Amino acid sequence: MIKFTLNSQEVISLAKANERLLDVLRNEFSLTGVKCGCKEGECGACSVILDGRLVNSCLVAMGHIEGSTLVTIEGYRGTDRFAALAKAYAAVSAVQCGFCIPGMILASECILAQNPNPTEAEIREGISGNLCRCTGYNAIVEAIGIAAKGGQGLW
Amino acid sequence: MEMISKSTKKKDHDAKISGRALYVDDHVMDDMLYGRLLRSAKAKARITKIILPALPTGYFVVDKNDVTGENRVAIIVHDTPVYAEDTVEYVGEPILMVVGPAVKEVERILHAIVIIYEDQVPVLDMCQSDTAFFNYNYAKGDIEKALGAADRVISETFQTGYQEQAYLEPQGLIAYPRAGRMTVRGSMQCPYYVHAAVAKALGYEEQDVQVIQDVTGGAFGGKEAFPSILACQIAVAAKKANRPVKVIFDRREDLEFTSKRHPSLCTYKVAIKNGEITGMDIDVLFNSGAYTTLSAVVLQRGLICANGVYRIDNLRVAGRAVKTNTVPCGAYRGFGAPQTFFAVEMVMAHIAKEMGLDSLELKEKYIVQQGDATSTSGKFHFHVPLPEMIQRIDELTAYRAKRKLYQNQTGRYRKGIGMSMFFHGCGFTGSGERDIIKAVAKLRKNADGTVEVLASNTDMGQGIKTTFCKIVADTLGIAYDKVYIDNPDTDRVPDSGPTVASRSLMTVGGLLQQAAAKLKKEWLEGKEQVIEEHFSEPDFVIPFCLEEFKGDAYPTYSWSVNAIEVEVDTLTATTKVLGAWGIFDVGVPVDMNIIQGQMQGGFLQGIGYAAMEQMDYNEKGMIRNNSFSDYIIPTAVDVPKLVTEILNNPYTHGPYGAKGAGELPLVGAAPAYVEAMENALGTNLHKAPFTQEDTMRVLQGRR
Amino acid sequence: MVNGYQATSLKEALAILAKEAVTPYGGGTDLMIAADEKANYLFLTKVPEMKNIVEDKEYIRIGAACTFTDIIESALAPAILKEAGAQIAAPAIRNLGTVGGNICNGSPKADSALIFFATDAKLRLVSSKGERVIPIAEFYLGNRKTSLQANELLVEILMKRTGLSNYYYKKVGARAALAISRVSFAAVLNVEQGKIVACETAFGAVSDVIIRRADIDAMLVGKTIDEAKAVKEDYLAAFAQVIVPIRGRISAEYRKSVCMNLLCDFLESNGI
Repeated sequence: MIKFTLNSQEVISLAKANERLLDVLRNEFSLTGVKCGCKEGECGACSVILDGRLVNSCLVAMGHIEGSTLVTIEGYRGTDRFAALAKAYAAVSAVQCGFCIPGMILASECILAQNPNPTEAEIREGISGNLCRCTGYNAIVEAIGIAAKGGQGLW
Repeated sequence: MEMISKSTKKKDHDAKISGRALYVDDHVMDDMLYGRLLRSAKAKARITKIILPALPTGYFVVDKNDVTGENRVAIIVHDTPVYAEDTVEYVGEPILMVVGPAVKEVERILHAIVIIYEDQVPVLDMCQSDTAFFNYNYAKGDIEKALGAADRVISETFQTGYQEQAYLEPQGLIAYPRAGRMTVRGSMQCPYYVHAAVAKALGYEEQDVQVIQDVTGGAFGGKEAFPSILACQIAVAAKKANRPVKVIFDRREDLEFTSKRHPSLCTYKVAIKNGEITGMDIDVLFNSGAYTTLSAVVLQRGLICANGVYRIDNLRVAGRAVKTNTVPCGAYRGFGAPQTFFAVEMVMAHIAKEMGLDSLELKEKYIVQQGDATSTSGKFHFHVPLPEMIQRIDELTAYRAKRKLYQNQTGRYRKGIGMSMFFHGCGFTGSGERDIIKAVAKLRKNADGTVEVLASNTDMGQGIKTTFCKIVADTLGIAYDKVYIDNPDTDRVPDSGPTVASRSLMTVGGLLQQAAAKLKKEWLEGKEQVIEEHFSEPDFVIPFCLEEFKGDAYPTYSWSVNAIEVEVDTLTATTKVLGAWGIFDVGVPVDMNIIQGQMQGGFLQGIGYAAMEQMDYNEKGMIRNNSFSDYIIPTAVDVPKLVTEILNNPYTHGPYGAKGAGELPLVGAAPAYVEAMENALGTNLHKAPFTQEDTMRVLQGRR
Repeated sequence: MVNGYQATSLKEALAILAKEAVTPYGGGTDLMIAADEKANYLFLTKVPEMKNIVEDKEYIRIGAACTFTDIIESALAPAILKEAGAQIAAPAIRNLGTVGGNICNGSPKADSALIFFATDAKLRLVSSKGERVIPIAEFYLGNRKTSLQANELLVEILMKRTGLSNYYYKKVGARAALAISRVSFAAVLNVEQGKIVACETAFGAVSDVIIRRADIDAMLVGKTIDEAKAVKEDYLAAFAQVIVPIRGRISAEYRKSVCMNLLCDFLESNGI
């Protein structure tokens, strides 16, 4: 039994401590917005926010998150910050196949939470662990920049 | 910018950005079972025995004996087995599937199965192959005369390696039987290809198979034919189980065992007389892997592009796709063109150097123009915008000045700049569109005035849901919101052909535009109406004959010029891409953001192909680069300066002037990059990818 | 929890380690790649004694459960360590991965271990029976083999407080982020009153273990820059002999060439 806060709700997982957070989120909690691209921490599709930090949920054992706070795309999508990012991504049509996108959105949040006015280089560094094969990254980088500029005190 | 090019919010943006979009692995069905494939550990062997462990209740094994139809997957020449028969032909060939309710138990059983092999001798090197799956030859003019009369014949060989599509969503499908029918759903590009394959493997009538595309997380050709193989395997399992069966590949499995870009070896003999190129004699070798799959068509396209954008009147092109005991190669964005464009661009660069010219100076003399004959004695019917693209690239990059500046550098950091020019033939090669595909597209107008697009083309990120709806809405003069399109379901949509060959927008978009125009004329308020359109080949096309390899291989071409600037650190032999610039003519963009996104994504994939995506076999025929830590694709920090521009060159026979766009941006990155490396290192180079190790060898004078 | 223990103090962690068959778990970024469903993990990220970055009279003491992000954000961590940390993988990995895990993995590719080697850091290893402090060079026995005892935890890494500012660091990977090192090199040179008082070099990702040859580096110690120039050829030749890259995905010639080039550049950047 692992107790933690998931998308602002206190929950208890019946998983064993050595099970993968990614699997538990997708299977026990049906949070299919958290994607599996490689299961080795190399692609970022499974990114979630753990105690305010971006992590690859495929590399996290359940025992590690006892007492922690976790946010997935399902929890984040109700926020004003998400709305600003979604609008920015839409403006430049940054979403192609979409598989990297939940991870990218959470990575975007972590960049702006730490640095509300990032340079382009800082944005690229912030998403350097999120692989995208469709876009060539330019539109995603541009979208994060748009959200930062239009952020108006959101971050 | 044309009105239609103004960017619109994509139809699938909301679902994908919120994480609500459901990909195949997000679907869970009642009573669903999981399958994992057991694969050959040998590159070539006879299977003498399969020893199964005791199977717990609810777990079972599926193999060739369970195939109720034909144990062959319908892909052009039907030689791929659904499940291996007596022999295995490559490491990874599927022998059987273990199926059951819990994945971990399925895997445990899988690892407990013992296969006894009788080793045979594999052929891993394409040069050692004695089996040519396909052999094509064509010529024009008199190459023998040109070679005989030449002052000099320059002969060079170029090699290109594997490339893995590396879509972020691994391959996966679900099959489920219902009322005597079989439904297969999942990640795919071509529902009707899967449909035909499953019907054949099960021995079902066409109407008893249903195929549905799920939201697909990238494909790039890797999900063109490969899903047909997996679909047959899963359908056979689902039929045996009489329950839904899901198979999702893990990343290592996907990297090692799914179809890839054909490695190539191209030899060019170029005749020079009086400082002029008088002829090219070209030999092309593609490594097909163990089965034919799509090699025939990949080879065809590669051969058609063999002399590049150059007017070569005396030309001979011979090509073979040969069998090796390695993973079967298939479709990947560019489809044979990246290989031969690499070779022809590099040989032109080397010839220029021999002649004391800069490569651009030489190339410009031979660029084709509107009205010139193509390699296969067809015609370039439309304007060729290369000169103005070259001019624009030079403006953006100071290419000509830098080429001179970067010669003979001696410091630690050495810069280089390279350029490539290339085309992509739009649509299916030859008469395939007219004789084989025979696309049909439909519009259904509902009584409430909304319009549904019915076509079998799939959105895999490239945005056809959006562009199809834009075309229809704009032609009808109704709101974009009133037009919609669902993921294709073969029960509901006609066969408008596969989502390949950069044909969807140009060909099927064109049919939809025609249908919309007709619907507008015949619009009946408050009534349901269905309009159907059938493909007909444009009048101007000179029909293509495959036996003679003559005629218009494509109705038109999309064009591009790329320039890439690099900086080599001679201490570590690492290369930084200082900038990558591409000018692209894809006709009129039906949505500028979408087209720019395609250009940027494809260009970066091409740079990966050129610089870092090395994939090798070991001596046992096993791919060594089987994880994302070993198969290196670009991250957001690798090419920060990626600049793409669109040149407007409307195509008279495309919807709103659009042409094929999807593949073009990948085709020319490799020669631009490698020519830049030549500029930096001061020596001729012949391979792609050109990696850090290759660079160090050159720096140390080792070859 | 089942198959796991969450320790909230060092004492508690050591007691569990002594009693149960557990695998110490720092950030999980190596362990979870080939996750073992039978493993019992001892989660260490809530052990305060392992999360500090503090300074005492002699050392900067870095808790083994500190993540790379903790180190990058700390005011106390030396610049050479921060630079190496910042080039590890990508943000999500840095947010989880710990220096303790990086070291105890035993891999010669470990980016922070390289820095600890090059700066002659010490490891404080503690068990419920006592503790020992050893130079990091003594900790490695071979590829993925360390001298960590069954009931021991790596609790802290002790780095010199001074003399680390004139450093050279280069990581060579396959791309600009998410890259495992193909070759890595770190070095420190200290000159006082015209004489070299310290020369410390280390080469990563080339051999079974990180190459640290204090005996060869000693050739330059005590010499002036000009005197060092005189023995430069011998110094380089000595290293050329001991840098024998093991077989790997990337060719030995490539890795050796890079090592020698970087070593040379380190010398030249210091006027040697």
